[in-house]
Amino acid sequence: MISLRNVTLAYPNGVRALEAVTLEIGKGEFVFLVGHSGTGKTSLLRLLYREMFPTGGEIVVDGIRVDRLRHARVPALRRHLGVVFQDFKLLGDKTVWENVAFAMQVTGAHTRDIMRQVPRTLDLVGLAHKSRMFPGELSGGEQQRTAIARALVNNPKLLLCDEPSGNLDPTNTTEIMELLQRINLKGTTIVVATHNQAVVDRMRRRVIRLEDGRVVADEERGYYYLGLGQSKVLSG
Amino acid sequence: MQATAIGTVAVTVALLGAFVFVRVTLAGLGTQILDQIEISVYMKADATPSQVAAARSALARDPRVASVEHVSRAAGLAQLRQETRGVIDMSIISANFLPEKLRVRAKNLDNVPAIAASIGKIRGVDNVVYNPPVVQRLLQLGTVMRRIGIAVIAIFVLVAGIIISNTIRLTVFARRREIAIMQLVGATNFYIRLPFICEGFLDGILGSALAVVVLAIVKTAVWQRLLEALPWAALGSARFDAPLLALELLVVGGALGIVASWISVGRYLRA
Repeated sequence: MISLRNVTLAYPNGVRALEAVTLEIGKGEFVFLVGHSGTGKTSLLRLLYREMFPTGGEIVVDGIRVDRLRHARVPALRRHLGVVFQDFKLLGDKTVWENVAFAMQVTGAHTRDIMRQVPRTLDLVGLAHKSRMFPGELSGGEQQRTAIARALVNNPKLLLCDEPSGNLDPTNTTEIMELLQRINLKGTTIVVATHNQAVVDRMRRRVIRLEDGRVVADEERGYYYLGLGQSKVLSG
Repeated sequence: MQATAIGTVAVTVALLGAFVFVRVTLAGLGTQILDQIEISVYMKADATPSQVAAARSALARDPRVASVEHVSRAAGLAQLRQETRGVIDMSIISANFLPEKLRVRAKNLDNVPAIAASIGKIRGVDNVVYNPPVVQRLLQLGTVMRRIGIAVIAIFVLVAGIIISNTIRLTVFARRREIAIMQLVGATNFYIRLPFICEGFLDGILGSALAVVVLAIVKTAVWQRLLEALPWAALGSARFDAPLLALELLVVGGALGIVASWISVGRYLRA
């Protein structure tokens, strides 16, 4: 599904976000990307949906050479994957329904397809009863679920989540992660960048740790503090 | 902000329209003036056809003369009716008081006075009329004004374009969050552009429409007065297609709007 080979990313100001990163993520996997803020997790995700362009290396997403993609073809790429952000990025003047439908409208979908798919997706995330409300009227967890619904409505094979629980309290966080697991069970590949130790340790999925832009650990049923022995219980 | 854009387009297009109108009118005037650079030879009222013919062939033989044209009294009357149509009611004149006329064009304008003098000696010729250099100056003025006019119009179009462009840029900036989300979700650049292009187009069309209305009002108010004040100028003889000009102005405004907004959105999307 995703393949990075020797990928390097240097920002114009000289900061080297990623250094010779090589990894593979298969279809249907659920992967945590962990590391301190600024170690390159977000940058890596950004490369995957072509928000940024790598300085070197090869990136393949679902068979497409993303690093070689022409600028004009980037929108097409993005329609085949879903992205979820820490700050939700919803349109405040549109209802939940409209926000989700928006992702279908920009791809030129037929109204009848939209009418069929949007309710289904809202059902999946458990927001069918709130489809007429505006983001401002929802809790953080509900807003994130709306964002997830929007990311899913075009049936992407890959879902990228950049600190999805960053703005949420523990209860909401649990809800969201359970939702993501359910989605993963249906076959969608999911990559979650996070620094939420509790979540990572609880779920015991594949964990890839980045430090200073390099992959320092990669384990199947991992813990947050990989490669440092057993999971560390931090005081406080 | 929107009003500024529309207003600037209105001013630009109004100027353009006025310019075209003046040009067309001047062109009509110019033809008349050109006529007057010719030497007009008026035969006496009792001149015989053979005298007219003789005068004509004498002039045709003159090496300084480029062409001679005979304007019969009937033809002359018809032309006069045409030129003063709408201003003077010619139907009240029944008798043709016009003389036989010869239009003589000289090869070289410097020879005109000499030719005129020699014509005066031909039998049957009553009056020889030609116009002094003032006319020359008028023609030169026309050309100069045309060039200045084009430069002024170009500047105004540029200014209008810039203002529309900035207006659109402000709108784009105000909606940058929405645009970012659209890009994230996979909207093509064209899809994102479209509403802004439409807005620019509307600004342009509305501005032009405003200009057309203002021009129409001014023209109606001023035209009749002008015709009466300068009947000699035969301003009515310039054929002028008002609806076509209005349409052309609308097109110019719309095009200006589209181009300006396309450029300004494009700059944002690429940045």
